[in-house]
Formats: sequence, C-alpha cells, structure tokens
Amino acid sequence: MQDGIVLAKADELLNWGRKNSLWPMTFGLACCAIEMMATGASKYDLERFGCGAFMATPRRADLMIVAGTVTLKMATRVKVLYEQMAEPKYVISMGSCANKGGPYWQHGYHVLKGVDEVVPVDVYVPGCPPRPEALIEGIMTLQKKMASERLLADKWVKNA
Amino acid sequence: MLSELSSLINSKVPNAKAEVINPEEGSLGEGSILVAPESIYAVCEFLKTNDKYSFNALQVISGVDYLECIEVNYMLGNFDVNNPRQLILKTKLTDRVNPRLDSVCGLWHAANYQERECYDMLGVTFNNHPDHRRILCPDDWEGFPLRKDYMTQKYYRDMEVFPDDKMNYEEREFIVRQKQMEEDLKKRMLERGM
Repeated sequence: MQDGIVLAKADELLNWGRKNSLWPMTFGLACCAIEMMATGASKYDLERFGCGAFMATPRRADLMIVAGTVTLKMATRVKVLYEQMAEPKYVISMGSCANKGGPYWQHGYHVLKGVDEVVPVDVYVPGCPPRPEALIEGIMTLQKKMASERLLADKWVKNA
Repeated sequence: MLSELSSLINSKVPNAKAEVINPEEGSLGEGSILVAPESIYAVCEFLKTNDKYSFNALQVISGVDYLECIEVNYMLGNFDVNNPRQLILKTKLTDRVNPRLDSVCGLWHAANYQERECYDMLGVTFNNHPDHRRILCPDDWEGFPLRKDYMTQKYYRDMEVFPDDKMNYEEREFIVRQKQMEEDLKKRMLERGM
C-alpha cells in the first residue's frame, strides 16, 4: 500500500469507517442485557465486528442496544439517553420486551409496548432473550444498513 | 405457642384484640395472629421487647386486597440458634379509601422499604414513616396497582399505556368476559321471551 492510491467515494469510505467502529452504549435494562454481555465477552467477541467498545457515556456512543423490558418509568430515561447521543445514531431493539412489550404486552400496566413508541428503531432482534448469534446478526444487519447510507450526498443535495 | 402469645399480647396491650387464626382443615400453612390495626405499633413493640418470645427481625411486610378489607401481614422472626421461631402477624383495614397504619420503622429499620412497597402497591398510608413515597412506580403514578379495583391510567407522560394499534383487544380477558356476560343476558332474555 506504500505510495499507493485508493480510489473511493467519500460516502462509502466514511460508511466503511463508521460501520466497522460502531460503539454501543453500556446500557442494559433486564435479562437481555446478560445475553448482550455474553455477546461482548470472549466467546462471541463483538470486537470482531468492531462493535465491542461499550462506551460509558451516551455522548461517545453511536449505537444504543435497548436490551430488556422498557418500563414506563425507564422510558423517559431511555428517551433522554437517546437524545444525549451524537448524530448519526442508531438503535437496536433487542428482545421481545423492547420490541412489543413481550410477556407484559397484555396486562403489563407498567411496561411500554415497544421502545419504538419513544425512540426510532433501526433493527429489531426477536427472541426472549435472543441468543448472542441473533444479536450479532442484528448488528450485521445494521452494518449493512449503514453501508448503504449516503450521509454526505444527502447533506449536499439538501443544501445545494 | 400462638394461643399463649395471643393471650400474652391481650394482657400486655389493651385494645389489641389479638386472636389466633388457624389454617383451614386439610390445608397447608401456618397459623397467624390477627390484631386490631390501631394497636399495631404497641403490639410490635411488645413482640420485639418481651423476654420470652422476642422477635428481633422483621422479614416481610406484605399486603392483600380482599375487596372488603385490606390485610397487611407482618412476618416476624428470631434466628436464635436454640429456639428459632417466626410469627405471622395480620391486621385488617376496613377503610379502602384512606387506609392508615402506624409505621414500625422505629422498631425495625427493615420496615422502611417494605412499608413503602405496601404504600406503592396497595395505597396503605403509614403514619410517622421517615421517607413516605413510592418505591417501584414513578412518583407521579396514578392509582395503586395491586388493588382489585385498579384501573390502568390511559397515558403516562404522553406515552400511551395500551396503544390501540398495538393491542389485540379481542383477546383481552375482560372483553372476553364481558362478551360472555352479554351472551348470557341475551340467552336469558330469549328464554323469558319464549
């Protein structure tokens, strides 16, 4: 590569960088968080996808994995945390509870019926809780979505 | 032990009205002592400080809604190696609108969170509680979820609790029950008409 030239579209180069350094937020709500931790640990090793650097603050993170039951009390906090993240930001809804209320869907007076009521969700991972493979698939799906984004082009076209 | 203890309570605490409740024939479970709600602090103080049957640990405070009354249960214990014992102390509050009890936080610090939970879930107010607020539900929550007549609020801070587009109302239990009642009524009307 020394003295070589690589030709790429600016957007694709940016996307390549962004999708392979996806920093999730250290944020777990219930039992799904245990699976999320297992995904981050050595056996499943999220770092293979550039996604293992769990950030301790939403300001440095660009992915929120909503892992677990979102109660109404927590939903207000979830929204605040999402708003604290810097753009561009992504949300993975992990597990049945975060997707649609899960077992609390019918009688759960205290559970939000899906985290998409308060924040926009990019990828839903079904399961109760999903296995680490399922979460990895969700993250890879998100990476595919990110690779097809055209942030710079959109911005320039919009401001032209 | 229970009958002896209840007569002891009655002799030492006036107006305690302590009585023994034995489990029904053929059913499992332990007997308990029912006391008047006004004397709960005095009874607990006696149970903690007496020499023969002292209970130095409060294990649980729980509440049950029986529609005609709200029952608050205290599970007391003593982990004495030679003579371990425990006691279920019950009290019945007939006022459903504003049930009040004296706090026993002054006797056992463990009562603090337990009483807060009892207030959060059943709406029992505890007099002289040092930190009397909800523990599980948010502070601005409406109603007490473990009451039998509890109705869920429609919105919590602009979030819909049961959004119409996400619920399958046909499957919800009370709708099913209501439909059954309607059908029963129709049947009865038909029978009378015939």
